[in-house]
Amino acid sequence: MTNAVLAANIRISAEFSKRDAQAGCPFFRCPPYRILYAPSSLSMTFLDQIEPLKQSALVELSAALDLASLEQARVNYLGSNGKFTGLMKQLGALSKEEKPAAGKAINIAKVELEKALAERRTVLELKASLPKDPTDFTLPGRRRPLGKLHPLTQVTEDIVRSFRKIGFVVADGPEVEDEYHCFDALNTPADHPARDTQDTFYLQNPQANAQPSMLLRTHTSSVQIRVMKKQQPPVRIIVPGRVYRRDNADATHNPTFHQVEGLYVDRNVTVGDLKGTVQFVFEDLMGSGTRIRFRPHYFSYTEPSFEIDFSSTLTRKMGKEWLEIAGCGMVHPQVFENVGYDPEIWTGWAFGFGIERIAMIRYGINDIRLFYENDVRFLRQF
Amino acid sequence: MKVTLNWLKQYVDFNWSPEELADRLTMLGVEVEGVQKIGSEFDGVVVAQVITKDKHPNADKLTLCRVNDGMGERQIVCGAHNFNPGDKVPLILPGHSLPPKPGEQPMTIKVGKIRGVESHGMMCSPQELGLGDLVQGILILRKDAKIGQPFSEYLGRTGSDVVYDLEITPNRPDLNSVIGIAREIAAVTGNLLRLPELTQTSSPGSQPVSALVSVRIDDADLCPRYTARVIRGVKIAPSPDWLKSTLEKVGIRSINNVVDVTNYVMLEVGQPLHAFDYHLLQSKAATHPTIIIRRAAEGEKFKTLDGQERKLTSQTLLIADEAKAVALAGVMGGQNSEINPSTVDVLIESAYFKPQNIRATSKKLELRTESSYRFERGGDIGICDWASQRTAQLILETACGTLAEGVVDAYPKPAEPKHIALRHHKVTGLLGIELRPEEIELYLGQLGLKVVNRKPHPVGAGIGASEPVSFLIPTFRVDLKREVDLIEEVARLHGVDKIPATPPRGAIGSNPYDAVHDQLADARRILTGMGLHEAQGQTLISDTAAKLAVAAELAPLSNPLSSDMNVLRPSLLPGLLDAFRHNLSHKNYDVALFELGRTFLRPKSAPEETNAATHEERRVAIALTGQRQPIFWTGADREAKFDLYDLKGLLEEFFDQFGLRGLSYTRRSDSTALFLESATIHLGKSHVGVLGQLLPALAKQYDLRDAVLLAELNLDLLLARRNPGKSFKPLPSFPAIQRDVAMLMPEATSHEAVLQVVKQAKPANLESVELFDVFRGKNVPPSQKSMAYAFTYRSPERTLTDAEVNTAHEKLVAQLKQHLQATVRE
Repeated sequence: MTNAVLAANIRISAEFSKRDAQAGCPFFRCPPYRILYAPSSLSMTFLDQIEPLKQSALVELSAALDLASLEQARVNYLGSNGKFTGLMKQLGALSKEEKPAAGKAINIAKVELEKALAERRTVLELKASLPKDPTDFTLPGRRRPLGKLHPLTQVTEDIVRSFRKIGFVVADGPEVEDEYHCFDALNTPADHPARDTQDTFYLQNPQANAQPSMLLRTHTSSVQIRVMKKQQPPVRIIVPGRVYRRDNADATHNPTFHQVEGLYVDRNVTVGDLKGTVQFVFEDLMGSGTRIRFRPHYFSYTEPSFEIDFSSTLTRKMGKEWLEIAGCGMVHPQVFENVGYDPEIWTGWAFGFGIERIAMIRYGINDIRLFYENDVRFLRQF
Repeated sequence: MKVTLNWLKQYVDFNWSPEELADRLTMLGVEVEGVQKIGSEFDGVVVAQVITKDKHPNADKLTLCRVNDGMGERQIVCGAHNFNPGDKVPLILPGHSLPPKPGEQPMTIKVGKIRGVESHGMMCSPQELGLGDLVQGILILRKDAKIGQPFSEYLGRTGSDVVYDLEITPNRPDLNSVIGIAREIAAVTGNLLRLPELTQTSSPGSQPVSALVSVRIDDADLCPRYTARVIRGVKIAPSPDWLKSTLEKVGIRSINNVVDVTNYVMLEVGQPLHAFDYHLLQSKAATHPTIIIRRAAEGEKFKTLDGQERKLTSQTLLIADEAKAVALAGVMGGQNSEINPSTVDVLIESAYFKPQNIRATSKKLELRTESSYRFERGGDIGICDWASQRTAQLILETACGTLAEGVVDAYPKPAEPKHIALRHHKVTGLLGIELRPEEIELYLGQLGLKVVNRKPHPVGAGIGASEPVSFLIPTFRVDLKREVDLIEEVARLHGVDKIPATPPRGAIGSNPYDAVHDQLADARRILTGMGLHEAQGQTLISDTAAKLAVAAELAPLSNPLSSDMNVLRPSLLPGLLDAFRHNLSHKNYDVALFELGRTFLRPKSAPEETNAATHEERRVAIALTGQRQPIFWTGADREAKFDLYDLKGLLEEFFDQFGLRGLSYTRRSDSTALFLESATIHLGKSHVGVLGQLLPALAKQYDLRDAVLLAELNLDLLLARRNPGKSFKPLPSFPAIQRDVAMLMPEATSHEAVLQVVKQAKPANLESVELFDVFRGKNVPPSQKSMAYAFTYRSPERTLTDAEVNTAHEKLVAQLKQHLQATVRE
């Protein structure tokens, strides 16, 4: 069979089924179509049988509502003992003159039937693969939940990211410190109240009866000393980490909390640089409408020292124009001398703030203890 | 510390609003913690004179009075009887309100009938005016009170006032005084600071004080200066109203005129003073007494003003006479020498004590006073005599008496004048702004720093010549120690808000930890990706909890807050168990957490050097309990709980993603303090962690209900062994052939053992081995198990034939049978 014939067949078949559907009546009652397939010179007996048989086969195929009845219909007509197969077997009995036209006609019909069968099968197969009840797309699906980073980690990472944009790298140091790195080198006098056992945790000295000398660092500033002692200037570091103060836990205190410290030492570093950097970081962190201001303050390891207040929609939501957020200052020349930097050549600034405080402001968290309870209903929110 | 607006205005002029003052002080570095407006509470209260006082016609207990309020006469019904016609009293006029009592609504006075008689106002008691509760009945005012005068004016509270509660940083003891704050205002406004004039240095014809008292300092280190003045013939009485109200506004209770004056001067200038009853100071000889400043004897007892008997040590400094101690130096006076109603002669002490010693005493005795607070922060050794004179003058004004001539001033080693040199380029260099030398000198001059020995400007030298300028530092500025301190003062007065911010610039930082920080972030990212939430536990835990993880080697605190938090965590697991307990008690039954944090151990073998004795280690821990999957509405497996293989799978995926290969797991034969069943994890020969199931008994103790699976890894070790590098392997271009084998083998044979045999056998072209079924039960003999493996064969060079795969596979199966006593199930 040539491609042209096949194409014609497809068109016709499409025509049939369309008409079939529209008229809703068996095709054989519409004689004009017969003319197409019935050249008058051929034996009418054989040819006349093709069309009605095909029509009844088509009806049966389209009437099949499932794959089993479709298969039954196929067997009835196209199976080895099927009616259509039976008709084809009669071809041999035809005369030489009749054979070509009859063969052609019956082949066309067979192709048509097989096509109708395949089409019906596709429809019924699709029908068979649909679930019995349609899917409710409003039902909840099977979730593959992601875990969440702790909000303190998220805030720390944001701070680190801001600082890294402007050339800072992350540094680290031990949490169990000696008094030298935590206090002495930072210019904290020996009798300063912060060093008191009231305020600072000391570790038991492994040597019995000896005075405790190791402590839990009260600020990340101890890392300043460790880094400067190891490294020649310039220095540009940021130090996130855990720190400890001997406060009983309440809504605003926890004996363990987190700080971030920034330190920059170079030639010709000024208060202006400190302000510019702090401004950049806080805008990056808290959003561009954030204003900051510096207030003179006192820390033993910086001079001049400042406290930083910030103001934003968040603070106004808390009913305050200015909210204290960080401490900072120019590194005290005594600190430089303690680590062996020449304060005549190097200047620098340091600043530090509490990560919990930033997280509490940012997310509107009202109790610091929530950070350490690890309630999954809390952790999932960030 | 508290100051009031009006008090400040006595020393310096400024025309800021109360709010602006708060703002200015804040920006000068004096944090304002509270602002309270007072004084307007006496609106509508005037001084009135009682003209007549009669019995109320309808009530025995009431009186009916006519009073003059300065504008005219009023009829008042009154319940009190303690006054007489002619007395002056505070009267509140109708339409005005009495000061509200704490937590109450103010009461407004109206014209009203009391027992049928109209009353046009109310005469007030001190309680009603909120002035304390010392007097019963109506407050009787001084005879000289002006009729019609607003009552607040009569009290010396001219109009309203504003009380500021200030937080003074510990480096600025000079700001613990009204004059100190006024000096800051003067400096920033450029206005003059007006100090009270000292007019009366002695009373005419009085004895020299040296005839009345001697001073002997036994320990000049702890007491570098001690001054004494004597006033004779004082009359102890309640303080005048101005004094009383000034003290009350800043929260000091009025006691009597002499004591109040010492408090007033302390608040005014910052110098604590003490007044002794001169006659209670004993002398051995019949001459005059000697004040001795000495250390207490060990165990010496002393009764302070508050009636407490205190046991002292040799570290305590005492003020004593020749017979007994009379005061705890710088902290509190003694009961045995305090000013009392019959005191006639007064000795005024004004001294300087070593701050460290006062702090130690105050702390040891747990006795903190206004005096100790100021001394321990560092007083002004230069002000002792001035403050003493000021006190004497005010005592003469308020308690009469005669001031003995002169002062006994024991000051063995007068403080050297302190100079600090300032270089102009250092100021501009540090602040990042250009300031002219004159501006700098002006700022510092306004703070009382004087330029000394300035060298003449070389001709032709421009502004900012680098010749340093030396400044004389006033004795009250104990915080100014070096050049940078002066630069800070310049920054403060210039205003840090006027220093322009310069954009970030400068060197690129470098630190070896920077990369580690990212690796930790990698670990967190992988773990959250697998559905674990990150926890942050307490570093401080109880030793009991710590011992679950580690039997010894704990790092205990010497000053823990409580036994719940007395050691540093040796492991993250106890903290995760706490988190589980919290979650379970809040009905969060399905919890999967990890924590990445430091642990602390003190190895027994640590060297003597304490510095190295505590070993800090970064770890990561995982804890699972409850349901494996989030809640779902169908499916047979939906309620499955986490088991050990969930944990193992998480670890395997973590190791894989983190770039770690070749981990091995060894089951521990026994249960531990923490684990029911557990295994150690090794990477090569290093022990890197542990995983296991929590002991059920312990789970019960922590109120946990489902199986709890725990793992903990040494992250420091893993970081060192990590190989996160990745390289591309071409995708296979030839088909694979798979052969499945199910084997019966003894229970004791591990998966690891199977893999070992496979590894030994080295079958040709074997690409991978996967276990796909483990089965016990039907058709499997007891104490045996069936394990089914899929072996995948593939060559990167060609398509394998069935025959060659069969040959290799049969050889392998034979090896498995031989080495594992396995039976292949056909």
